[in-house]
Parts: sequence; structure tokens; C-alpha cells
Amino acid sequence: MSLSLLAAEAAGNVDAGKAIALALGIGLGSLGAGIGIGNIFGSMIQAVARQPELRGELQGIQWLGFALTEAVVFYGLIGGLLAYVLI
Amino acid sequence: MRRRSALVLTFLLALTLPQAALAKGEFDPAEEWELHEWVPIHIGPLDLSINKAVAYLLLGALVSCVIGIVFMRVKIGGGPGRRQALGEQIYEIAQTQVAEQGLPTKAIGRWFPYVATLMVFIWTVNMLGFIPLPLSDEKVEIGGVEVPTLAIFAATSTISVTLALALMTWMFTHIEGIRANGVVGYFKSWIPDVPKAMYPLIIPLEILGQFMRLISLSVRLYANMLAGHMLILTFIGLIFVLENVFLAVVAVPAATAFYLFEVVIVVSIQAYIFAALSAIYIGSAIEPEH
Repeated sequence: MSLSLLAAEAAGNVDAGKAIALALGIGLGSLGAGIGIGNIFGSMIQAVARQPELRGELQGIQWLGFALTEAVVFYGLIGGLLAYVLI
Repeated sequence: MRRRSALVLTFLLALTLPQAALAKGEFDPAEEWELHEWVPIHIGPLDLSINKAVAYLLLGALVSCVIGIVFMRVKIGGGPGRRQALGEQIYEIAQTQVAEQGLPTKAIGRWFPYVATLMVFIWTVNMLGFIPLPLSDEKVEIGGVEVPTLAIFAATSTISVTLALALMTWMFTHIEGIRANGVVGYFKSWIPDVPKAMYPLIIPLEILGQFMRLISLSVRLYANMLAGHMLILTFIGLIFVLENVFLAVVAVPAATAFYLFEVVIVVSIQAYIFAALSAIYIGSAIEPEH
């Protein structure tokens, strides 16, 4: 195999490696956020079941918690994209 | 009549994304975020050129002014119509859900306008990002006239926009903190109640935390909008990358589902979160807990 073909192959592998790294990073990042968001809504359901009259007050906190947790995925995404572009 | 307008709309929608993607031959969703200068304005080292994001921002500012005036200013108080009810609902969300959550009572008068404006403005800009508008760099010929293709793009999916908004909140936080507590009192309030031996560890962390707020506030909005648009574009783009029309059976419903999720939930939640966190940051600077 000629040298240029080898180089092309190596470049292809680097791209594949990047793709795998990005996918793995996003996947694991989403795992954590998924658990967190599940927790938030689960607790919300429990709280409303126990004290239905507090629903209005709890809703604000619920969405705040949801957005704060959900954002974690996107920090992962931005980190992954940065790594993808820079390396 | 209604059927015809629906047909025209579907036709226009079908023209937008496929046209843009086919013209290139290959599809790269990142190209949507390349900003080309439309009206170059350079003042010394400052680049104030008008590009796609700036056009969307200007439009957003205009629309949010119109929302405020139409729903809350024009002919209010005669009889509670549907328009007034909607205006009052927006106001109530801004007051009870955003301002009163974070701001202390004495500061509401001063900072309510800011957080309410943030909420309406970010919501408008986010929402404009999901309405196909003829503001794009791609051109298409209809009847011999070159017009920009319809495209979806949100100004909040560029980091400079969200960073500017976050910087504003961040500056106001510190200015208000110093105004309310004095320079020494304010910076002392950063340090939590811990033994003195812990100070070398805690103080750098707290200072870092203040800067992390800036990053988290801006990146949250930016990445949410970016990821939403990227998902929709990628699903539609799959048809052209794999060159298989039948993929549309899967890709279009999936893209539609993500589109609806973004429009119904994410747009409003992000606007609310940004305003609520701004209120909480400013409120906690004015009245520190310890």
C-alpha cells in the first residue's frame, strides 16, 4: 500500500474516532440529565399528589430545575463540538 | 380559498430546505450558522455589519415592541376582551413567576421592567427562529426574480447574542450589589460561613463561580436553540445526505416532532429561565443570604 493511501486511511480513522467520541460523550451526558429530569418530574408528581393546592407555586421551581438540569447536556454538546473542531 | 392558501404554504415550505440542500450537492448543517455581511459597517476595529443574526435581532426588537404596545397599551380598560386578557396573562407571568421569585420587594419597582423585557424579547427572538422567513443567504429564482429562500434561524443560536444578554445581567448584578451593600459589604457577602482555614480554597472557587454564571447563562440559551435547529436540519438533511427519498417517511415526522417540541416547550421555557435567573442573580446581590 502506498504512503498516500495509508495517510488517507489514517485521516479517515481520525474522523471515525472523532465521531465515536462525540457520540459517546453526548450519550453519556444525556444519561445523567435524563436521570435528573426524571427525578425532578417524579418529585413534582409526588408533591402535587400530597398537596394539590401547591401546584402553582411548585410549577415555577419545577421548570427552573428542569432547565438547569437539561442545560448540562448542552454543556457536554458544546464541549464535544469544541473538541471536534479543535483537534 | 383556505385550501388554496394551505397549498401555497406547503409548496413554499417544500421549496425552502430541500432547495438549499440540493443546490449545494452536499449537506452541512453548520453552514446555516455562517454569517455573511449584508450591509458592511466598519468603524475602526469595530465590526458593526448587518448580517443574518442582526437582521433577526432587529426584527425581534420590533416585534417585541409591537407585542408590548398592542397587548398592553392600546385601548385598555374599556371591556376585558381577549386581547387584554392575553396581555394581562403575559404581565402576570412576568410578575409572579419571574420577578417575585427572585427580586426582593424593594427592588421590584426598579428591576421588573428589565426582567419582563428580557422575557418578552427572548421569547420573541426564539419564536421568530422557528417561523420560516425569507431572510437567508441562499437565493432562489421565482418568476425571474431572485428572492432569499425561506429558512429558520434564531438570533439566539449565535453565542454573541446570548453572551451580550448575559453580560448585561452580570454587570447589573454587580452594580446593584455594590449600590445596595457597599463595595466591601458586597464582596464580603460572596464568602460563605466557613472556618477561616478554608478561605484559600473557597475564595477562588466563589470568584470562579461568578464567572461560571456568565458562561452558564449564555451557553444554556445558545446551546438549546442551536441544538434544536441542528436536530431539525439534520433530520431533513438525512434525506439528501443518503440520497434516498423514502427516508422522508421517517425523517419528516421526526423533524416535525422536534419542531413542535421546540416551539411548544423549549422556546417559552428558555425565555422564562433566562429572565428568572436574571431576577434571582440580581435579587441575591441586593439581599445576600448571610
